[in-house]
Amino acid sequence: MHADRHTVALLGNPNTGKSSLFTALTGTRQKIANFPGVTVEAKLGTAKFENSEITIIDLPGTYSLAARSPDERVATEALLGRVPGTPKPDGVIIVLDASNLERNLYLATQVLEFGLPAVIALTMLDVAQSRGITIDVEVLGKQLNATVVPVNSPQGKGIDALKAALHRTLHHPGKALHVPFGDEFTKSVDELHAAVCDLSVKLGFKPARPEALRLLVDGAGPFFDECEQVGGGAFTDTLQKLRAKAAAGSSLALIEAQARYGLIGGWVAQARTSDDDGKRTKTDKVDAVLTNKVWGTLIFMVLMLLVFQSIYAWAGPLMDGIEEGVGALGGLLLALVPDDMPMLHSLLKDGVIGGVGGVLVFLPQILILFLFIAILEDLGYMSRAAFLMDRVMAPLGLNGRSFIPLLSSFACAIPGIMGTRVIEDRNTRLTTIFLAPFMSCSARLPVYTLFIAAFVPDHGVGPFNLQGLVLFAMYWVGVLFAIPTALVLKRGILKSKITPFLMELPSYKMPRPKAVARVLVERGGAFIKRAGTIIFAVAIIVWALAYFPRDGAVIEKHDAAIAASEDEFAAKVAAIAKDGGFAEDDEALAASVADIEELTATHEEAVAATEEEIVDEAELEAALEERAAAFTAALLELKRRHGAAFEPAQVIYTARIEGDEAVAALEKQRDGELLAGSFLGIAGHAIEPAVKPLGWDWRIGMAAIASFPAREVIIASLGTIFNLGGDEDEESESLRHVLVDAEDKEGNPLFTLATALSIMVFFALCAQCAATLAIMRRETNSWKWPIASFVYMTSLAYIAALVTYQVASALGA
Amino acid sequence: MTTLADLPVGASARVITVTAQAALEQRILEMGVLPGVQLKVVRQAPLGDPIEIKVMGYSLSLRRSEAACIEVEVQA
Repeated sequence: MHADRHTVALLGNPNTGKSSLFTALTGTRQKIANFPGVTVEAKLGTAKFENSEITIIDLPGTYSLAARSPDERVATEALLGRVPGTPKPDGVIIVLDASNLERNLYLATQVLEFGLPAVIALTMLDVAQSRGITIDVEVLGKQLNATVVPVNSPQGKGIDALKAALHRTLHHPGKALHVPFGDEFTKSVDELHAAVCDLSVKLGFKPARPEALRLLVDGAGPFFDECEQVGGGAFTDTLQKLRAKAAAGSSLALIEAQARYGLIGGWVAQARTSDDDGKRTKTDKVDAVLTNKVWGTLIFMVLMLLVFQSIYAWAGPLMDGIEEGVGALGGLLLALVPDDMPMLHSLLKDGVIGGVGGVLVFLPQILILFLFIAILEDLGYMSRAAFLMDRVMAPLGLNGRSFIPLLSSFACAIPGIMGTRVIEDRNTRLTTIFLAPFMSCSARLPVYTLFIAAFVPDHGVGPFNLQGLVLFAMYWVGVLFAIPTALVLKRGILKSKITPFLMELPSYKMPRPKAVARVLVERGGAFIKRAGTIIFAVAIIVWALAYFPRDGAVIEKHDAAIAASEDEFAAKVAAIAKDGGFAEDDEALAASVADIEELTATHEEAVAATEEEIVDEAELEAALEERAAAFTAALLELKRRHGAAFEPAQVIYTARIEGDEAVAALEKQRDGELLAGSFLGIAGHAIEPAVKPLGWDWRIGMAAIASFPAREVIIASLGTIFNLGGDEDEESESLRHVLVDAEDKEGNPLFTLATALSIMVFFALCAQCAATLAIMRRETNSWKWPIASFVYMTSLAYIAALVTYQVASALGA
Repeated sequence: MTTLADLPVGASARVITVTAQAALEQRILEMGVLPGVQLKVVRQAPLGDPIEIKVMGYSLSLRRSEAACIEVEVQA
């Protein structure tokens, strides 16, 4: 049987239950459709009814089709089938919130003017009922000339009836709704429509009549820009003349709103009965607490503390778990690589496994933040939070909705940027995205920790500690630069065309676990798919830059030294054995060495465990003494058992440790020299003149370049370049000492307090995070913003580090 | 002239006119705040701005600067 295929667009106001209706209709068969050139996205899904297959386009929720930005224009473009890659709808489903009928019908009147076959999904009937509102579905349907189907998506009620109504409707042509605007107005729309139709060829499409209406009333926006471009002055003259004629001294927006709401008022008077006595609804009662001056503020602060604490601290163990898990799986994989393939080994270890870990490690923070956002949004609290915080953000040109994304960015900018979706106004959202990486995220902390511990004196300043003050200052550097950045952006290129803070405060609803879970799966999946690939690619590229070109002579030189050291060790062992009167391969001697090794290892483990367990110093000392005594006793017992073999075995064991350390040191030296000769090292040398005024040498420059994919990488890079190996962390004593002792070419200390401060300021401001840039690209749907962010933040970081170093060294730091 | 921004919390009023820059005026009208409509000031945010009004059966929050564009007539 030939399947019947259709496409319908799903439209409605925000907060009407549109998304859950979409899910109820399409199940899990959804995909995200990006619209070119805009930051909003739609979802595509398929609903099945009998033998027909209906593709549903879930368009972004909106209050009106008036379009001032490309984002707002998308709904119209999609209705007319002009979005590349998205099929042209042959019908619409309009979602109406029964508890808020008038304002919801405003959009409906605009959509019905397109004349597409339409079905109305009436949601929130339970809320309406609880307020004593009854709606006559038959009467409403007759007035709208469309079937009205009551639905309750979470319970699955009315979904089949909606599909059946859709199926029937799609086989009958629609009829455009006629809104009585008055003769002059209607005639002007017709004339303008004819005028823009004359531009069809140049525009590349035939404008619809409702578009002409929008053009007449709005007199601006993306469609106006397109027409002006192809029609020039003749077009603008016509438009101005018609606008003046239609307005007849009044305001066109007022004429439109009055005509639509007039029509709606008539409909509602007949279709709705209400015994709403104006008594307080549940939402009113909850709001009396949640937006109360004292309680509301307190609850908000506790909630924010909880959100911040959970991303900042609770995600930590999960992230460690992921890193360990990936490391362990990687270890299994590495064991399969033959020893004679060092490049494959390095690629897998530092490139692939590091890259996968680098993607997955962000998941806990993203999921935790979105768990909160999804619950709070579903509950209806997000707009209350914005209501409470608007006054704080308004001076920056932002609004209350920017607060939570920016706060979460102090833990990590990735979930913060993904969280900006709650901001309706495009320019405010873009500004917030741009500011998010300025907030000092948790990845910067290790960098501060290392350099503060190594170079900032640990002494008191009044009641404070200087190290603590410097750390505090580092957290504020980003905010300090974010403020003027916000002001410049919002007054300049991202000026909002309307004051963005007309915000609906929706009724509170119980969060639905399924909807929350869906958001988590969607956000987590989107991050891995869209941003993960970029982060992974960057990890591989940086691995290659640090690995190649790999000078063969350097490897040979060091491998020869390593082999010599190993030979030396073997000769030493043979001599010791001979001195003790044993053959080199004596079994008793080998057994004795093995026993000593095992005993020592067990002892060291026990000491480490004790040190971790016992906090009290005196208690710890006593416990350690006890351990040492037990160890000595065990050694004596071994000596008694092994007899003559014990003493030489002990000497061999000590020699072996020394030999292993010598080889490890040589290997680290080799890795350091190879990194110095890699493309990264070459780049470090190349930029040395540029970073010299910052107090840096080529090694710091190279470590900074290596940390562009992820700032915390600087620590491992410094570890490698100073021949300590790549496994150093910010708590490492040896790394601190090496940094303090490091010298420049003239033999002066490489790092001074001024250098350390300049590095920290650089890291506080620089866009060193491939994941942030990747997610910025995804959320803005364009490379323009991540590139702008990268260039701007890197320049700012350079200048600020330069000033910091010059001022600090002039002051003698 | 009394505007919405002048009303104390709890006051009811009827909209007389909306006078603002074109895009803001349009947005205010679209949200159902148009001449003749009844509204009520429900509360203000803890920091005094924005305010919340009840209009056409739903809650709308707007800044005082926006409320100042809406001329109203106080109802008993």
